Amino acid sequence: MNELGEFKDELETCFGTSCGFCERGCPVYQAIKIKTLSMKGRNRTMLGLIQGKFEITPAVVEAAFECTLCGNCDRWCSLKNTEHTRAFREYLLKHGVEPMKEHASIVASIKNYGNPWFQPRSARNKWTKGLDIPKAAPGKQDTLFFAGCTSAVMKPLTPSLIASAKLLQKAGIKYSTLGQDEPCCGSTLLRVGQREAYQELEKKNIQKFKSLGIKKIVTACPGCYTTLKKSMEDNKTGIEVVHIAREIADLVKSGKLKVRRSSERMTYHDPCHLGRLGGVFDEPRDIVNAVANLVEMPNNRYEARCCGAGAGLQTAFPKLSRELASKRILEAKATGATTLVTSCPFCETQLRTVPGMRVVNLMELLLDATGDERRKAPSGADAAQFSSLS
Amino acid sequence: MSYAEELVAALGKEKVLLDPAERFVYGADWSPRTPEEFFPPDVVVLPRTTRDVQRTIKIAFEHEVPVTAGGGLTGMLGGAVPLYGGIYIDTTTMNQVIEIDRKNQTIRVQAGATLQEVNDAILPYDLWLPHQPESKWVSTVGAAIACDNDSTFGVRYGKILNCLLSAQLVTGTGEVLELGHRKAHFTSSGYKLKDLLAGSEGTLGVITEATLKLEPIPAMRRVDMLVFPRLGAAVDYLSRLLKAGLCIEAAHINCKHRLKFYTHTYTQKFGKEPSIPAWAEALLAISFAGDEKVVEAQRDYALGLAKEFEAQLVEEREIVESWWTSKYTLEFEPFKQKWPDSQVKKKFGAADPGVPVGRLEEFYHKFVEVAQKNKLEIIGMNAYLEHPNSIGFSLSCAVYVDYRDADEVKRFRDFHDELSKMAVAFEGTMSTFMSDTYQKAPYLELEHGESLKYMREIKRLFDPKGILNPGKKFGREVKKG
Repeated sequence: MNELGEFKDELETCFGTSCGFCERGCPVYQAIKIKTLSMKGRNRTMLGLIQGKFEITPAVVEAAFECTLCGNCDRWCSLKNTEHTRAFREYLLKHGVEPMKEHASIVASIKNYGNPWFQPRSARNKWTKGLDIPKAAPGKQDTLFFAGCTSAVMKPLTPSLIASAKLLQKAGIKYSTLGQDEPCCGSTLLRVGQREAYQELEKKNIQKFKSLGIKKIVTACPGCYTTLKKSMEDNKTGIEVVHIAREIADLVKSGKLKVRRSSERMTYHDPCHLGRLGGVFDEPRDIVNAVANLVEMPNNRYEARCCGAGAGLQTAFPKLSRELASKRILEAKATGATTLVTSCPFCETQLRTVPGMRVVNLMELLLDATGDERRKAPSGADAAQFSSLS
Repeated sequence: MSYAEELVAALGKEKVLLDPAERFVYGADWSPRTPEEFFPPDVVVLPRTTRDVQRTIKIAFEHEVPVTAGGGLTGMLGGAVPLYGGIYIDTTTMNQVIEIDRKNQTIRVQAGATLQEVNDAILPYDLWLPHQPESKWVSTVGAAIACDNDSTFGVRYGKILNCLLSAQLVTGTGEVLELGHRKAHFTSSGYKLKDLLAGSEGTLGVITEATLKLEPIPAMRRVDMLVFPRLGAAVDYLSRLLKAGLCIEAAHINCKHRLKFYTHTYTQKFGKEPSIPAWAEALLAISFAGDEKVVEAQRDYALGLAKEFEAQLVEEREIVESWWTSKYTLEFEPFKQKWPDSQVKKKFGAADPGVPVGRLEEFYHKFVEVAQKNKLEIIGMNAYLEHPNSIGFSLSCAVYVDYRDADEVKRFRDFHDELSKMAVAFEGTMSTFMSDTYQKAPYLELEHGESLKYMREIKRLFDPKGILNPGKKFGREVKKG
């Protein structure tokens, strides 16, 4: 991970080229139309700052933090733009800018509770009740299902984890979870410029995975997916990180999993971390196509527009964040689809705030299509758990 | 009140940027200028309506403050870069579609809409705006008019002026004028003031709206490349295709240096040399578009004629598609290989002269000679056919320039100026797609002679206080007394 100064040549290249192709797909720039909020302008701002052309001003801080790090700019450019922005945030924090109060509380929560949502560690395990998933231990399953903080502790999102768990079981995959000991992946820390806190956490996480003999991590959270994947690869741990859509895609493709197909028009929203940043495009579409009629939004795959939830924008700039969500839902509605499918807890939560479109998690959609009666809650602990979720 | 305070009072603070970091980003385009030559504007205005622009210019007129209007800021010669501070009007905040008239195949837009935004809006109607520079994702309608930039499809559709039916302009006094002929494609009435806007560089007024002529989208396209033993042979070949009655959609002639750029990229990517003969001195990229049968018949006929000119088809489709992608579609992977990777250490710098069709090869050798004399690394020369169904081309004579090296920037300017002046001596023109900017301003008389004084009078008529983009086309006039 580089510091801002190390990107000086890249900033100069952008300054010299000035093509501005990053502007068209930037959701924030297209909403506000101030050039410091486009990547070209942000690169210029960073360069001007490190060249001493101006001091840190409110506009500089906005340029750094008013961005979802969605990576759309990287789609048009060979420069490492999102990395520049991450380093820019870190630079400002090192040069006396106070963390945004919304971001400071997230950081404190991760330190104290192991999740960004001020939820006790015990809350993290609730979703597994009645599912009979073993807890990871040395010498046991070497595949770990990593739930991720947000889905695990936010009640409306736990059905997606239950669906994921059940689908993994249907696929015959032997796996474990970390239960309430599951740590935060640190994605949020990285995105808000807290590199040192992230690195401390990363070190502990790697130690934990290694001590448990984990060989493979399956996750349903795109943020965890890209963060853990990069971390495991950068640190040469040999641990494979896979998103659940990819893990169970064969199950759907091979026809091993019997699903009911409906004629409903559904559209798929690529979460930035899963699609553009993670490279997983086809498998989620295979799943939607197996279950319903997939209709694409004009901006899809690499060009998908961010929902507005990422990189601390939702917490620090809620109005702008909602505007981006509204735009995305408008795009989804224009396809004639009645349901938007996605596979990210942040996208789900964010897009559900806009009325007029049913937003469904990819794993829930698939499990429902198998006729699994999870919502009917057959007995015991399952019943208690599912009724509280439905 | 200061003019900045007046602007805030008139427009609201959300439309006026005063923060130094925000102003900084509006001060540069693609042109090679040293950091010392970089002057950000004092105020940036983000208008939403023509009325906003009018209010801004009226305040600037009262205070005699420079006003520079810009779009995507992708200019290659500093046309929209403020030289004397003052107010920068960022027209990209005015990007609304006002009317799509499907039956009459026209669109009315605010001038800050990018060319791509126009095409996004009309795609559902199976129409397109064929004025397509490489910068179309960012280049705005207003900037395309004011810069008179190039177009990939010029040989079939011409440049922006061939698409422009009417334009709204706010003059240097704040008067709002409509110049043009509504939705009629041409007129014989009055003086064609609308045509003055092409290449006017914001020196006559700020373009705020435009009515553009649209074309039906061709059903399909075939793109090919051919190599020739001489640049002149490629010109003769194109002339023969036009004589044959073929409707060429795009035609670009690349010199040997440019050809090497593509073959080198191919070798790097695939680890083998492409089967391009050593004798190749010119590379022609050509496309036909329309209904499949028509396209195939035209393509077959064109390729059949190629033998008469000792041309050879480029078999490596990767080279053809990579070129087309970088020129037109900007798809992910091929684009990434080309740009801005190729400008990591230095940036592009170009002269844009025009020469008579029979003197292309002769001028090419002069370009190489002048670049070498000035110790500049050559990128190459392109001749883009830009006039409908005719052989007329614009030239891009490109070199690498390290903008951080003041001496190299000076050598680039010497190179640019020498080629520009030489083009006039060749019975051509100094500029074909970048306009004059500050660069050609000192020697504009060389091209225009006595008519330059009429141009000055026209400038005074539209901008009596000389506040609009001062320093471009004409030097800034210092106030007397």
